[in-house]
This record gives sequence, structure tokens and C-alpha cells, in this order.
Amino acid sequence: MSPFKVLVVDDERDFLESLVRRLQRRSVDAAGVTSGEAALEHLERQRADVVVLDVKMPGMNGIDVLRRIKQLYPEVEVILLTGHASVESGVEGLALQAFDYLIKPVKLDELIERIMEAFDRRKVVSELAGTPQPADS
Amino acid sequence: MNRPYANLSRRMTIVALLVALLPLNGLGLSLYYYYNYANTQALKEELRIRALNRTTAIELFLAERTALLEVLAHGARLTQLSDESELANLLSIMNRRSWSFVDLGIIDKNGQHRAYVGPYMLKEQNYRAAPWFQQAMQKGVYVSDVFLGYRQVPHFVIAVKHGNGADGWVLRATIDSDVFNRLVRTAQVGKSGDAYILDRQGRLQTPSRRGGKVLDPAPVDVRAVSPGSSVVERTTPDGRQVLTAFSWLGHGNWLLVIDQDPKEVLGTLNLARNVELAVLGLASLFIIIAVLILVRLFIRQLQTNDSERAAIDAQLAHSARLVSLGRMAAGVAHEINNPLAAISELGGEMQDILVPSELAKLEEGEVVGENLARIQNQVDRARGVTHRMLKFARRMEPHMEGIEINEVLRESYSFVEKEALFNNIKVQLDLDPGLPLIKSDRAQLQQVFLNLIDNALDAVGQGGRVRVVSRAEGPWLTVRVSDSGPGVPADLAGRIFDPFFTTKDPGQGTGLGLSISHSIMQRLGGSLELESQPGQGATFVARLPNQPPDTP
Repeated sequence: MSPFKVLVVDDERDFLESLVRRLQRRSVDAAGVTSGEAALEHLERQRADVVVLDVKMPGMNGIDVLRRIKQLYPEVEVILLTGHASVESGVEGLALQAFDYLIKPVKLDELIERIMEAFDRRKVVSELAGTPQPADS
Repeated sequence: MNRPYANLSRRMTIVALLVALLPLNGLGLSLYYYYNYANTQALKEELRIRALNRTTAIELFLAERTALLEVLAHGARLTQLSDESELANLLSIMNRRSWSFVDLGIIDKNGQHRAYVGPYMLKEQNYRAAPWFQQAMQKGVYVSDVFLGYRQVPHFVIAVKHGNGADGWVLRATIDSDVFNRLVRTAQVGKSGDAYILDRQGRLQTPSRRGGKVLDPAPVDVRAVSPGSSVVERTTPDGRQVLTAFSWLGHGNWLLVIDQDPKEVLGTLNLARNVELAVLGLASLFIIIAVLILVRLFIRQLQTNDSERAAIDAQLAHSARLVSLGRMAAGVAHEINNPLAAISELGGEMQDILVPSELAKLEEGEVVGENLARIQNQVDRARGVTHRMLKFARRMEPHMEGIEINEVLRESYSFVEKEALFNNIKVQLDLDPGLPLIKSDRAQLQQVFLNLIDNALDAVGQGGRVRVVSRAEGPWLTVRVSDSGPGVPADLAGRIFDPFFTTKDPGQGTGLGLSISHSIMQRLGGSLELESQPGQGATFVARLPNQPPDTP
């Protein structure tokens, strides 16, 4: 299994389940939930390094969830994934420090690549934040 | 000018003219008639007073002579007066002071001359039957009407009786007609003024300038003339409008008549009236001209405003259509993308499971593997479509971004490249590679460029040439689209940016393209102009401010 945990949030169950299984098959430690509320609950119980988040969902939408996650777990990286490509939501998402903004359907390899990049950044950020920085490094 | 404007223009003109001209001309005409009335009244009064004055003078003339004859008749003895040398002596004394007696005669109760002095041989005449003699015998004093007498010369006499009853005798004198006529004529004024005396039968007692000789009937109905003095307006038999003053003389037998042509006398009085008329006419003319000019200006401004508003409306409607089209495209793309993503993952998962070694175990494993690959290809294809739709939707939303003009031009041209190819039109793109990035709205610019290139292709037709040039010129980036077509006639050049103006056949163009392009360029801070020499093709010049993308 990968050294990082991924949480996929999407109300589209067919898509969600298949994507999670495929990620796992590629040795990515992935889990899936079908709503924003469930995602926050999940994060309470279990750590995740990268969250792949659908923007348009019933109940809490992706932007709200993103805002909440960044409040509670600022070190978690979020990749927004949506069928809609309105400029506003993209811009807003990036302003709320989402790592990236991808439009469905996205190729699995591309998604994994972005997830790994996001994890790399998360590592750097948490190292900088977690350990006191030596003066000479 | 089309119908609604023509109607409005006509209505405004009519109302404005009515409002301005009616009161003015009403006032003017009232003044005109007032002047006329007042002048005529003044003239009538003047005429009446003149008639009264003359009447008094004539009465005085007659009264003096009658009194003199009475003094003679009552003061002298008959024997003394019967002596003709004595009588001749009296006549010469009387005439020494212009008393205007022509002759004197003493007539006995039988109408026979006792004595006579004068230029005529009347000694033997008997006057018993003469009206004046009978009247004098009855009344004592009598001034006769003009009559012909024995001499067949018109004259009148004053007769005074001496003594009472049938036994008296009569002293008779003929008055010099010339002197009397002159006295009456002094009432004439001007070249056409006339003054004469009529008897109760309407016969002239003194000559009239126009009416004829003494004793001719005058064209006046004497019986209709009211007593005392009066002034009437009447038409003479020769068709002239005259004012006529009537005044009866004291003894009631004679009527003094004064005719006056009002035009002749009113000339100076009417000057004021005529000046007033001229001022009125000039003022009306100025008002008409001013109204016409103002209405014209107003209508022209209204037309300009209307067409500007129409352009804005059209532009807004167009933008609104594009925005809603974009929203719809985005909505559709979203709805399709979600199932598409699911299909992609589900198919992909199957591919993950059915790796080539697994497929080999299946009876038709090759077909299954092939189909799974094809599912991914079809998903990719659909993805291409929806992503283009989203891209389009994004473009429909107005926003300013960093833009490379040449790229927008190339992209715009790519839309019509095929059309140019089919029509064998040679399109030359002469783009300056050194152009800076500018901040502008990509979608709107594309709309403008597409419109200009499209118009150019339409203008040149088969085998023509179109040239697109981009350059940096001072504070502007300019794009020139030239064609080898017939150009734009000078009389239409001013209207091509008007909304709904089109030279294309009905159904071929809305007439909005250039109008919308023009307003887009203005909104982007630039401009769109036409440079056209008839016969040399048209060149449209679009200018954009050379504004770097990082400016706010």
C-alpha cells in the first residue's frame, strides 16, 4: 500500500466505488464516501493526506466541504473534481487553497499523478510546519 | 425619414405653428381691423364736421343776402325802387363788396316787372306762374331751387315780398352761380373729393366733379337721407367705395353732399396699419422657419438616439443570448460528464481486471479486450465534446484576460477557412509577430474579427482576395481587414454601422453584425472604422488600446 491515504468524495456511487477499487488495485490506500458530511465524519475518525472532492453534491457542496477541511485540517491537500467548469467555482476553490481543479472525466493515470504531486506538497508543508527549522537549512 | 418620424415631424410642426401663429396672427389681425375701424371712424367724424361747417357757411351766405334784400324791400319806397337808374345804383353799391348779385328786379303783384337792372333782357317777362314768385308772395321770403328760367340758364333767386296779402310787391335778385358754386366747392378735399348741393328731387344744384351738370339727377336717394347731418359708406355708380357726408341746409330744401375716397385721405393713417401687417408677416415667416428648423433638429436627434438605443438593445439581446447559450452548454456538459466519468471508471476497472492473461482464458477474450479499449476511446471522444462545450461556455462569460491578438485572429480565420477555400478566395494573414500581450475580452474580439473576415469574404465573392494585417501603432494595436470587393459607396459609408442597415438580400443578413462589432470595440476601449475608396475595396480598421494584461 501507498504511504499516503486518499479519501474520494462523490455522490455518484457507480463512479465512486469503481474509482476507489481501481485506486486500491494500484496500491493506493483509498476510501470513498458519498457526501460532504460523511467526508468530515470520516476525517474525524481517520487521517487522510489527499481528498478528491466533487464540487456539486446534494447537501454540503464541495466548496463548503473544502472550506471546512482547510479550517480543521489545514495540512490536508484537496483536489477538486467536477463535471462543471464554471470559472467562479474553480477560482474560488483555488482561492481556498485547493491543490488543483480537474474536470470529469479524468484519466486515472492523470488523477494518480496529481494525487502524488499533492502528497509531495503536503509532505513539504507539514515538514516545514511540524519540525522547527534549523537556521542553516 | 420613415413613416413614424414623418408623422411625428408633421404633428409637431402643425402644433408648434398653431400655438405660435394663431395668437400672433389673431392679435395682428385684430389690430389691423381696429386700425381700419378707428381710422374710418376718425375720417367719418372729420367729414361730418366739414359738412356741418360748410352748411353753416352756405346758410350764412344765403342769410346775409336775404337780410340785405329784406332791408331794401322794407326800407325803400316802391317809387324809389321802380326807378331803374336808382335800382342800378343800388346793385352796383351792393356788388362793390362782392355780394354776388347778378341782377335785381321789382315785380308787382301780377308778376309783371316794374323795374329791372342786370345783364339780361327780362323786363317784359311775367312771373305770375313761376314757383318762386308764388312762394314769395305766400311766405314773404323765398330762396328758390336752381331752375332754368326764361334764359334757359340754371340759376337760383332770392325773392323778398314787400307789404301784406295780395297787394305787396316782390324784390327779386339772382345769385351769381360761380360765386355760390365756389363756396360749395371749398368743401372738396383731395383729387377725388366731391362736394355739391341737391334739392329734394335729387337734382344737382351745384355742379359735381363726377356727377355731372347742374339740374342733372344725382345718384343719391335723397328721401332716404336722415335729417340733420350724417355720414354713410356707399358705392358710387362707377364702382368706387366712398364715404359720403350729408347735411341738410336750414331751409330744408337743399342737401349738402360731400363724397370722399377714404383711401386717398387714409394713406398716412394706414401707414401704421401697413407697417403692423409687414411686421406680422415677417414675424410669422421667422416663426415658420424657426419651427421647421427646430422640428428638424429634434427629429434628427430623436432618430440618432433611437438608433443608438436600438444598437444597444440589439447588443444586449445578443450578449444575453450568448450568455444563456453558454449556461445551457455548461449545464449539458456537466450532466453528461458525470455519467461519462462513471462509464470511464467502470470500463477502466474492467480493463484493470481483464488483463491480457485473463482475457486469454475467455472464449472471445480478444473481442472483450477490444471493446473495453473502444469504450475508453468513445469516452475520450465524448469528453472532447463536453470539454469544448465547457470551454465555449467559459468564453461566453465576459471577462478580461491576457490575449495575443494574432492567435485570436488565426482562430477566427480558422472558422471560415473552409468557406474561403470553397470560394477560391485568397486570404493573406500579415501578422506582426512582435505584438505584445494585451488585456481584453477574447470571445468578444473573436466575434468582431469573425464578423469582419466574414463580411470581407461575402464582399469579394468567387476568386477575390482578402488581407488581414495586425500592427502596433503608437498607443494602439490595429487590425486591418481589407478586401478586393467593390468597396462601400460614399453615400452609404455613414450608415454601415447603423443597426439593421444591410446591403445584403433579405434573409442574408440582420444588419446587426457591424453595429454590434462597432459597439464591442468601443466597449473594449477601442474603435472600428471604415476606410473605403469606391472601386478599390473596403478596409475595416479595428483599434485596441495597447494595454498590458497586468493593468487593473
